[in-house]
Amino acid sequence: MAENENTRRSALAGVRIIDLTWLQVGPQATRILASFGAQVIRIEWRHPAAVDFLRYMQPFAPDHATAQGGRSQGAARSHGIRGNFDRGGYYNNTNPGKYGITLNLNHPKGRDLLRQMVREANAICENFSPGQMDKWNLGYEELRRLNPRIIYMQTTGVGKVGTYKNYVSYGPTAQAMSGLTFMSGLPEPHPPAGWGYSYLDHSPGYFGAMLMMAALRRQRQSGVGAYIDLSQTETGMMLTGTSLLEYQLTGKPTSRYGNRMPYLDWSPHGAYRCKGEDNWIAISVQSDEQWRSLIEELGSPQWALDARFANAAGRKANEDELDRELTSCTVLEDRYDLMMRLQAHEIPAGVVQKAPDRFDHDPQLKARGYYVDLPHSEIGTWPIEGFPAKLSRSPADVGGLTGRAAPKLGEDNDYVYRELFELTADELAALRQEDVI
Amino acid sequence: MKTQTSLGSSLNELVLLEIGNELGDYAAMLLAGFGIDAIKLEPREGSPSRRIGPFAAPPPSAIRTARTHLFGSADAPPSASSPVSNNGGGDSRSVFFWRYNLNKKSAALDLDHTATRPLLARMAAKADIVLLSGEIETVEQRLELWRELASQNASLIVCTITPFGLTGPYRALKSTDLTQMAMGGIMAVCGYDPDANLEYDTPPIAPAMWHAYHVAGEYAAIAILAAVNFRDLSGEGQFIDVSVHEAVNTCTEIAIPSYIYNGQVVLRQTARHAFPHITQFRLSKSRDDVYMLASLSPFEREARAFAELADQVGIEHVLKTPEYKQLEKEDSRAAYTYRNDLIEQLVARLPAQEVFERAQALGLAWSPIRRPEDNLTDPHFTARHSFAAIHHPELGRDLLYPGTVAGDGEQPHMNYRRRAPELGEHTSEVLEWSGCDRDEIEKLRALGVL
Repeated sequence: MAENENTRRSALAGVRIIDLTWLQVGPQATRILASFGAQVIRIEWRHPAAVDFLRYMQPFAPDHATAQGGRSQGAARSHGIRGNFDRGGYYNNTNPGKYGITLNLNHPKGRDLLRQMVREANAICENFSPGQMDKWNLGYEELRRLNPRIIYMQTTGVGKVGTYKNYVSYGPTAQAMSGLTFMSGLPEPHPPAGWGYSYLDHSPGYFGAMLMMAALRRQRQSGVGAYIDLSQTETGMMLTGTSLLEYQLTGKPTSRYGNRMPYLDWSPHGAYRCKGEDNWIAISVQSDEQWRSLIEELGSPQWALDARFANAAGRKANEDELDRELTSCTVLEDRYDLMMRLQAHEIPAGVVQKAPDRFDHDPQLKARGYYVDLPHSEIGTWPIEGFPAKLSRSPADVGGLTGRAAPKLGEDNDYVYRELFELTADELAALRQEDVI
Repeated sequence: MKTQTSLGSSLNELVLLEIGNELGDYAAMLLAGFGIDAIKLEPREGSPSRRIGPFAAPPPSAIRTARTHLFGSADAPPSASSPVSNNGGGDSRSVFFWRYNLNKKSAALDLDHTATRPLLARMAAKADIVLLSGEIETVEQRLELWRELASQNASLIVCTITPFGLTGPYRALKSTDLTQMAMGGIMAVCGYDPDANLEYDTPPIAPAMWHAYHVAGEYAAIAILAAVNFRDLSGEGQFIDVSVHEAVNTCTEIAIPSYIYNGQVVLRQTARHAFPHITQFRLSKSRDDVYMLASLSPFEREARAFAELADQVGIEHVLKTPEYKQLEKEDSRAAYTYRNDLIEQLVARLPAQEVFERAQALGLAWSPIRRPEDNLTDPHFTARHSFAAIHHPELGRDLLYPGTVAGDGEQPHMNYRRRAPELGEHTSEVLEWSGCDRDEIEKLRALGVL
């Protein structure tokens, strides 16, 4: 399938994925699959109540951004343009490399068209609320009758099977339930700090890509399909480290440690304020030798010569005071200068980088070509976050088969319906007329 | 639901050799969950991750607690005399090691001995994937040999996981999970609200724990699976260079787009999304003292559901009145504050589980902020086989591990059955697999390689 397009050497050459996902968690998986050469056909509907929330969520491209321009025209705040769903910056970053079509699944002809596509696809992905596809009679059992080899991946907050199978969830809900929110933050009486974003809209997408690649390989080898009931909350549970085992061994409830290291004699270990507004550096001292180098680099202040701090056990036992004293030194320092001076002593130290630091400054990301400029048909060329591994023979390319950032709503209707699914111009016009596409 | 079979053994004809530290443990374990035969080649003193706490000392009754080592203690660190260590003194009490090395085999050998080279060459000829992880110097040193061995086996996939990748000006910088979370941007968006003057009196927070290595491990597993698919198509292996720093950078949602498009820097805030401005505080506590994630998205249906929930619980409100609709139009902040106060009252009136069930029954995506262990006995996860019961003979009991993220309707898609290996537990088996006969094994033993 789609073999004529896969002239490049890619890991997923010839794979076609019907992508009904929206928001972040579903599209994250298909983004990765597209970057490895799968033909990802993103299906959306243009009714305002059905449009992907990310299409009308900030950040928006600046109002002055045009198809021929983009970032070169400069960044600026924008509230978006009313009724225009093609200017979302986060959407653009989430959906590069995908084809975009419109299809009304509330219309029986829309559902028939989807069934036709599924017959000629390797996989279908969706992250609607639990049960939505069944309501449309497009659930796994129905689709596998049409295509026994189909891989059906459904991503929900808590899974399609189980006591909570009808429960609804956003990333933060799943994080709260999984234990991840509780684990993040300063010790009580501070409340949990949680996560400043939906981590569980990212990680389950990584797992989705993994599961799909395993399933696609099996499909190629043995012709067997798969049903994948992927749960955001279970993904979070996979990421709770050793806490579940500790609890079973000790009966002690999980607690929070802030930025400290509870499992090794590493101290100081935390984020320390530096010169400037909300500037911080993270420092992890792993040995007494590193400690001695650290205090020497800070000019051997009197407090640091205190015998209590001479060894790891002493530093651990007096960590509150240690952190206060260390901050009194770091607050006078430029964060990057201090980082490089500590690194010269082989002390793990890293600036707490904010977005401008990561985009404008970070020489490592620049040298590795992490941000990839990709064109968008309405808002022009913008940097897109890349894939964090370099493969020597089948590299990931976030531009995928389209060589483009995200599609405009329905941008590829003609290409997909006419070229790939061989509808005639008349058929297409009739479907448009009937509000099917 | 009747389905096709689980993916838990879908890759079981592949062999992966893993050499390295905690940067690679998780990636190899993920692949082992799909049936890949993951062989950990460890130095005779054991992989570095065997020395990461917490530590368990069997039997459980002998577990001690201390400040820095949860189960061992600083003055009595886990040692070669541990009842569960073997084959050269490696320690097998690291719960960290247990967690991230399920399903694997362990062969202990002197990785840098000249006599080991022909042995590694035999393994390279039979293996499908090699995963090297650790500090750049160590990985580069080992990579030299594996480049040579890969030239003899063109279908070999060699993946490295290093802190910053094999190239670039930061490649030799030192890092830990904490400093990676800092440089990758996650810390800057996690933490607590600033004060009224928008100044922060608390540090950015690295959510616990090991997430830099989680993200990198997941990407490494993806990249390896992509390479396996490519090899099926082309017959060719390849080299993969994973950077922990880049991996963490991919995982911060709107932080980078907000800056790129709008020039705005998002601000960290307590238990909610970092955003260009500070949004309203919305943690509430239930009657049984559990923090609750209870908030409403902008969708009208959620507003209606909340009004219904408030009615059910007997919270007086004016949410359905024209006056409130007017307030929403004229002063959305005041309307939001009013609704938030109602949420707080409502949550405080009931136990967390009841709030959870009632809210969810009305389609509200609320949840208690649970401790991880609260899920161990939740019937939902039991029904889904979310936890894998793994037997620990040294403890004389099973431990429940989070074992999958997905199922096929009946079975989990990842299949974990075997506890992490003791050091060298499978050395003989691995040597036999590589093609060594008994005489050769004895010679290697005499040379001090094994």
